[in-house]
Amino acid sequence: MTETLLELKGLEVTFTTRRGTLKAVDDLSLTVKRGEILGIVGESGAGKSMTGAAIIGLIDPPGRVSNGEIWFEQQRVDKNPESMRGRQVSMVFQDPLTSLNPLRTVGDQLVETILAHMDVTKAEALQRARDGLTEVGIDPDRINAYPHAFSGGMRQRVVIALALATEPQLVIADEPTTALDVSVQAQVLDLLKKLCRERGTSVILITHDMGVIAQTSDRIAVMYAGRLAEIGETREVLTNPQHPYTQGLMASTPSVDAKSFGQELFQIPGAMPKLDALPSGCAFNPRCSQAHARCQTDRPPILADRAACWLMENAS
Amino acid sequence: MRRFLNSDFFYAFTRSPLAIVSLLVVVLMVLSAILANFIAPTNPFDAASLNLMNGFTAPMEPNMFTGETFLLGTDDQGRDLFSAILFGLRVSLFVGVMAVGLAMVLGVLLGLIAGYLGGWLDTLIMRLADIQMTFPSILIAMLIFGVARGLLPAELREEMAITVLILSIGLSEWVTFARTVRGSTMVEKEKEYVSAARLIGLNPWQIMLRHILPNVLGPVLVIATITLALAIIAEATLSFLGVGAPRTEPSLGTLIRVGQDFLFSGEWWILLFPALTLLALALSVNLFGDWLRDTLNPRLR
Amino acid sequence: MSFVVARDLSRTFNLSDPWIVRKLTMRPKRLLKAVDAVNFEIERGTTYALVGESGSGKSTIANMVVGLLAPSAGSITIDGQNLGDASMSRQEQQRLRRRIQMVFQSPYASLNPRWRVGDILSEPMRAFKLIDGATAQRKRVAQLLEQVGLSDSDASKFPHEFSGGQRQRISIARALASQPEVIICDEPTSALDVSVQAQVLNLLKSLQKEFGLTYLFITHDLAVVSTMANKIGVLNQGVLVEEQDTEDLFTTPREDYTKMLLSSAPKIDFDS
Ligand SMILES: Nc1ncnc2c1ncn2[C@@H]1O[C@H](COP(=O)(O)OP(=O)(O)OP(=O)(O)O)[C@@H](O)[C@H]1O
Ligand SMILES: Nc1ncnc2c1ncn2[C@@H]1O[C@H](COP(=O)(O)OP(=O)(O)O)[C@@H](O)[C@H]1O
Ligand code: SF4
Ligand SMILES: [Mg+2]
Ligand SMILES: [Mg+2]
Repeated sequence: MTETLLELKGLEVTFTTRRGTLKAVDDLSLTVKRGEILGIVGESGAGKSMTGAAIIGLIDPPGRVSNGEIWFEQQRVDKNPESMRGRQVSMVFQDPLTSLNPLRTVGDQLVETILAHMDVTKAEALQRARDGLTEVGIDPDRINAYPHAFSGGMRQRVVIALALATEPQLVIADEPTTALDVSVQAQVLDLLKKLCRERGTSVILITHDMGVIAQTSDRIAVMYAGRLAEIGETREVLTNPQHPYTQGLMASTPSVDAKSFGQELFQIPGAMPKLDALPSGCAFNPRCSQAHARCQTDRPPILADRAACWLMENAS
Repeated sequence: MRRFLNSDFFYAFTRSPLAIVSLLVVVLMVLSAILANFIAPTNPFDAASLNLMNGFTAPMEPNMFTGETFLLGTDDQGRDLFSAILFGLRVSLFVGVMAVGLAMVLGVLLGLIAGYLGGWLDTLIMRLADIQMTFPSILIAMLIFGVARGLLPAELREEMAITVLILSIGLSEWVTFARTVRGSTMVEKEKEYVSAARLIGLNPWQIMLRHILPNVLGPVLVIATITLALAIIAEATLSFLGVGAPRTEPSLGTLIRVGQDFLFSGEWWILLFPALTLLALALSVNLFGDWLRDTLNPRLR
Repeated sequence: MSFVVARDLSRTFNLSDPWIVRKLTMRPKRLLKAVDAVNFEIERGTTYALVGESGSGKSTIANMVVGLLAPSAGSITIDGQNLGDASMSRQEQQRLRRRIQMVFQSPYASLNPRWRVGDILSEPMRAFKLIDGATAQRKRVAQLLEQVGLSDSDASKFPHEFSGGQRQRISIARALASQPEVIICDEPTSALDVSVQAQVLNLLKSLQKEFGLTYLFITHDLAVVSTMANKIGVLNQGVLVEEQDTEDLFTTPREDYTKMLLSSAPKIDFDS
């Protein structure tokens, strides 16, 4: 359980456009242990998807991994992205419609994926495909149905079955439930959680929904403007956030709580800066109520293994 | 203007030699067509200035009788070919641009109506388009041309030839515009800004023209450029077949038809130079249109 | 009588093939009852929320209340005036329209990308003949932008130059431009991040206080509802299954469907 499966060391993803370069991911270091669910949260444009794409080697020009290392099972893989894809790492995207081919039956797609990645016969692949569907709660007799015959939630379950069919070590799920209803969302998340627990698969769950993270992940990483703001045990981070940005996020999340009915929500002033116009020092300093002189000039590293904020210095 | 120079579009343009060269050729041709009166050494339509003795002069060779030299030679009637091409270019471009303009206005309006109002109007317009699509547009143009000429009194035929030509090519090319605009209109009308416009009580025409039209014009401009190349070729084809521009107002197509008669008697230039001009014009318009399409909307392909 | 009243509101959609195809294939007509005899009342100056899953009929109701869609049966009255009254003159219709405006879900599709913000905001003033003259309109645009937390200079920009949250503010400003009394908000923050969502929700609340606005608030997010609404209606497949004051609904839900919705909402709650 404690063995490290994936390690990012100072990961940096750069986009070079004619208006200049911007870092979508900047000096990001984190680890994912075997069998663990790591949540990555942050607002739109914070660099969550790019982190996922970098791990799986799917960053297209004009973007590139410009710095840092990616280690998977004690092997450095950023030099050879091909070795990562397929069997060991698979990906679940936000929109189940775009990740399934509408013109082919779900069975065909499952079997094809299994055959491409595993050394099995066609009959075995078919059996695995049926088992996979059963596992995600879909009647295996519907294996010959086309994607459009399923509802949104069922399609997303098919996508999960597809992602798990090859028995990967790591699943990267990028906003897997954003397109779904709350009740379906709960089913899909429970499913993902259960399957990973049973098989010891690690998951990186990317989302901007704090509730989803709270319910699903073991640890969480909060990103802001391409940088890691805070990382730690989910419960710790959510109940006792250390970084002022995480504190703001938690306070601005509406809750179904008798105390909050009709109350004004806390709001973080301003908006996340554009990545090509970041303030110097701590990227959060223009919006931070606790900012001090040093925040304007020096960029805080992750302190006390927890938060990238100068306030942590005294704590450690 | 500064915004345009700063745009990704302009940037892409400066990075594409193909786009620059093709636009340059088009601009050069358009300019020389507009300025034909000033550039051309002679006026090819002025019968009085023609000297039959100059007939069949080869390019850059002095005429054996008059000693005059012509850059691209002369035709059978001693008309300076260079001047004739400039004026022919003017006719070809005029017909092409007007025909595309007609097709565009017609197609965009019908497309907006079909896409926004829907219902039986949509069915009617689109079935009409389907029927027209099953015939090659040149055939449609010939048909319209024939009918229109038949309706016109004989003495007006020469005079109205160019107008009829524009009409027949324009009417044969509206379908692409209508289909594209209908498609984008159907996408746009579902967007919430259209609901917002309906909420303040705008009528369908105000919504179509003020709100939807600006949002469906992008692909229209691309199609217009590509259709321009088609229209120029269609005009040349009609004129070549002898049903287009008359000899008194020759277009490039007419010049090619005339030149064809002399190809085998050795006067190759009478055919070659008008043909090369047509090729260069149609090709560069088309290349520029293709580039526009790829740059503005990669999905249109 | 309450300010907004919906009586037996229903809407049926015809999903059948065209008549000729139907006759040839001998298939029966297929009708979908998207909204089925829904009743609710909204008091002036309060917020009524409709919650329910996707496809439950929330937007269909919203579109009927603003008049974008005609009800198949039933009626909507605003301040005693029946929205579907066919005997109204165009002027009366415009007068009524002005009083009901809408804020839409998508920050991307709800603003015309080819129009400048200033033009977007002044269009309702022209359509309803509220303010004459370019200078007076410009002044009002500046005032509206300020009210929603943007600046005067934003009037000359195009929508794509704004972030999602800012665009939603522009959408709200456009609704305010008509000086409405009722605003229908159809999932106004569903496409936004939490921190931005908080800003937009707070803005909606403070505007409500300032102008005494009445809101019909549509969302699938129960947590958002709990901070916004005075009263909540729960929709399931076109039927209003439960209606209670906000606190009561969360503490003592009556219907199983409501309980299911409540229990599946993700909670940040580690005591269980
Ligand atoms: N093709 C591209 N060219 C330039 N910048 C890009 C490109 N793709 C992504 N970026 C930038 O990288 C940053 C991070 O993008 P990313 O998609 O990871 O955000 P995200 O946190 O996943 O947001 P969302 O919740 O919207 O998906 C953004 O600022 C984005 O503008
Ligand atoms: N124009 C339409 N034609 C046919 N069916 C429609 C139309 N609009 C909505 N519906 C159907 O009505 C039901 C309710 O839709 P809607 O109110 O949009 O749901 P939501 O609660 O997600 O906003 C859905 O089943 C939807 O498919
Ligand atoms: S480093 Fe300074 S500005 Fe940044 S979060 Fe901490 S206190 Fe705020
Ligand atoms: Mg993303
Ligand atoms: Mg909806």
